[in-house]
Amino acid sequence: MESEIKITAHADAHRPDTCKLEVSVPLYADRAAFFADKEKAKHSPLAEKLFAIKSVGAVKISGSSVTITKHGDEAWRSVNGKVAGAILEFLKSGQPAVSKDYVSNELSPDQLRVKVQEIFDSEINPAVADHGGVVTLLNVKDNNIYLRMGGGCQGCGMADVTLRQGIETAIRKSLPQVNQILDVTDHASGGNPYYAPSKK
Amino acid sequence: MARILLLLPTRTYRAPDLLEAAHRLGVSITVASEESNVLESRNPSGYLTLDFDDREGACRKVLEFSKKYPLDAILGVDDSTVVAAAAISSALSLPSNSVKAVEISRDKLLMRDCLRSAWVPVPGFVDFSLQDDPVAVSAIIRYPCVLKPTMLSASQGVIRADGPKAFVRAWKRISAIIKATRSVPVILVETFIPGMEVALEGLLENGRLKVLSLFDKPDPLDGPYFEETIYLRPSRLPKNIQNEIISCVEKAVKALGLERGPVHAEVRVNQNGPYIIEVAARPIGGRCSKTLRFGLGISLEEVILRQALGQKLNSNWIKPDPFPSGVMMIPTPRAGTLSKVLGLDKAREVAGIVEILITAHPGQKLIPLPEGSRYLGFIFARAQTPAGVEAALRRAHRLLKIEIQPAAAKSERLVLAACKQ
Repeated sequence: MESEIKITAHADAHRPDTCKLEVSVPLYADRAAFFADKEKAKHSPLAEKLFAIKSVGAVKISGSSVTITKHGDEAWRSVNGKVAGAILEFLKSGQPAVSKDYVSNELSPDQLRVKVQEIFDSEINPAVADHGGVVTLLNVKDNNIYLRMGGGCQGCGMADVTLRQGIETAIRKSLPQVNQILDVTDHASGGNPYYAPSKK
Repeated sequence: MARILLLLPTRTYRAPDLLEAAHRLGVSITVASEESNVLESRNPSGYLTLDFDDREGACRKVLEFSKKYPLDAILGVDDSTVVAAAAISSALSLPSNSVKAVEISRDKLLMRDCLRSAWVPVPGFVDFSLQDDPVAVSAIIRYPCVLKPTMLSASQGVIRADGPKAFVRAWKRISAIIKATRSVPVILVETFIPGMEVALEGLLENGRLKVLSLFDKPDPLDGPYFEETIYLRPSRLPKNIQNEIISCVEKAVKALGLERGPVHAEVRVNQNGPYIIEVAARPIGGRCSKTLRFGLGISLEEVILRQALGQKLNSNWIKPDPFPSGVMMIPTPRAGTLSKVLGLDKAREVAGIVEILITAHPGQKLIPLPEGSRYLGFIFARAQTPAGVEAALRRAHRLLKIEIQPAAAKSERLVLAACKQ
C-alpha cells in the first residue's frame, strides 16, 4: 500500500509573495536549488512542472520543501492546490528533482557565505558605518542567513527597518535562493544605539 | 500588491510590530522617517525621508513618490506623525480623518475648548503664556490643579500643584521642559479630577466607535507627577460605568470630528461620572499594543493596517482575547545612567508573565518624569483574572534589580532631556 504523502503550506510573514510547502517525504535531500525563471528550470523535472503553473514566478526546492514566489493576483489557496498536484505527480514519476547540470553549477554553503559576505562588505557595512553600526555574518545554514547587528545598530529604534527594508532587500536582489534572514542580535544589550526609542 | 506608507519617526518603539503586521498582510511597505536611512539609496521604493513638521513639503514629496510607487494607504502611528499622515492622505485623496480634526486632537488646549463647547465633560481649564507671571497667576488659581504643556505626550511635563508655592515651582519646571523641547509656549492649568483613570482603545469606522479594549490603570494617578505604569484588561469597573465611559468617548470623537482609524482615549472617572483627559487619533503608545490580541491571534497593528487598506472590519478580527492581560511600563526609579537590569530570568519565570522587554540600553541616561520621555521597558502578562495579571506584573517587577549610576545635577538633567528630544 502507498504511504500517505502530506503537503502543508506555510505563508512567509516577511515575504507575502512567497509560500513554503512542506512535504512529508524528501524531494532534494540535504540540498537546495533555486530557479529564478522557467529557463533556468530546464531539465529539472520538478521545477519544470511547477513553472507550468501560470502564477509561479520562482521556485526553491530544499530538502523536503518547495518555496514558491508567485506573481499576479491568483489567491494562494488556488496556487497551492496546483503546486501540491504538481509535487504529487512528480513524486509518482520517480525522476530526480534537479538536473545534473544544475547540481554542478549550484553554490555550496561556503560559496553562498562568500557571496553574502561580499554584499555585507561592499554595500551594507559601508552604509551602516555612517551611524557607527556594523552587521556581522555569523552563519549560513540550509540557505538561511544568521547575522548580528552591532554598534549603532544594536538596540536602534530603526534596526528592524534597516534589516527588513535594507539588508534583506539587498541580499534577496543578488541571492534569491536565500531562505530566511535571521537577526540573532541581543538588542537589549546595545550600549550605544543610534536612535534610542522614546515615548509615543 | 498594495503599498502602505508608514510614517515612523526614527525613535519609535513601534517599527517591529508594524513591519511584522504589514508583512503578514502581504503588503509592500515604504517607511518614511524624518532622517534618511543609511540604506535608502539601495531600496528607493522602501524608504522615504520626510520632514513631518513641513506638511506642504511632505505632501509634495509623497505625491511625487506615489507617481512611481502608487500608495494605497498612509499611516501615522504616533503624536508626531498623525497630522502629517492626515495631510498627505488628503493630498492623495486617500480616506483619512480631516486634518483639522487631527490637529485639534493633538493640542490639549484646542481639544479642551472643542469638547467643552460640545458639552463633553472635561476638567475646568485655563491657558497661560510662558510670558505670564507665575506668581500673579498662582494667586488666582483654585487648588488642587494640574499644570501641563499643550503638545507633549505620555505625562511629560504634567505636574499637580496643591498651593501657590508648588504652582510656581511647577510652572518653572514646565517652562524649562517646553523650552528644551521647543514645544508650544503655553501652559494649560486644569482642575485636578480625583478618581481612577482608564484608557480606551478603539477604532473608528465612518465615525462609529468600535471599542477594542477598556483598560484599568490600577496605580493611583494623583500626582504630583503622573507616570503611567500598569494597564489591565478587561476593566473591572461595573458595566454601567464602562458604558458611561464609552458613551463619553463617543461624544468626544464626534465633537472632535474624528471619523476613522485608531483612537486612544484617557478618561478620569469618579462619582460624578467620566471626564475626558485625552482623545488621540492614534493607537496606544510604547510597546503596550503587544498586550492586545484579537480573533485568531492577530495584532492591533494588523487590525489597523487592514482598516487603513479599506478592508471592512470583520467582527472576528476584533474579537478580544478571552484571557485577561496587561502590561507594566517599567517606571524609571531615579535619574542616572542605566548600568544593567538584573533578575530578568527570575522575573520571566513568574507564572503569567508572557514577555519582558527592556528598551532602555546600558549607558542610557535615565530621566524620570516630569522631564523624562522614555520607558525603561515593558512587562506583559496573561492570567485567568485581571487580579492574577496585576499580581504577576507586580511580582515580576519586584524581582527586577535596576542598577543606576548616580544622577547628574538637576540642571544637567534638563540639558540632557533637551538633547534627547
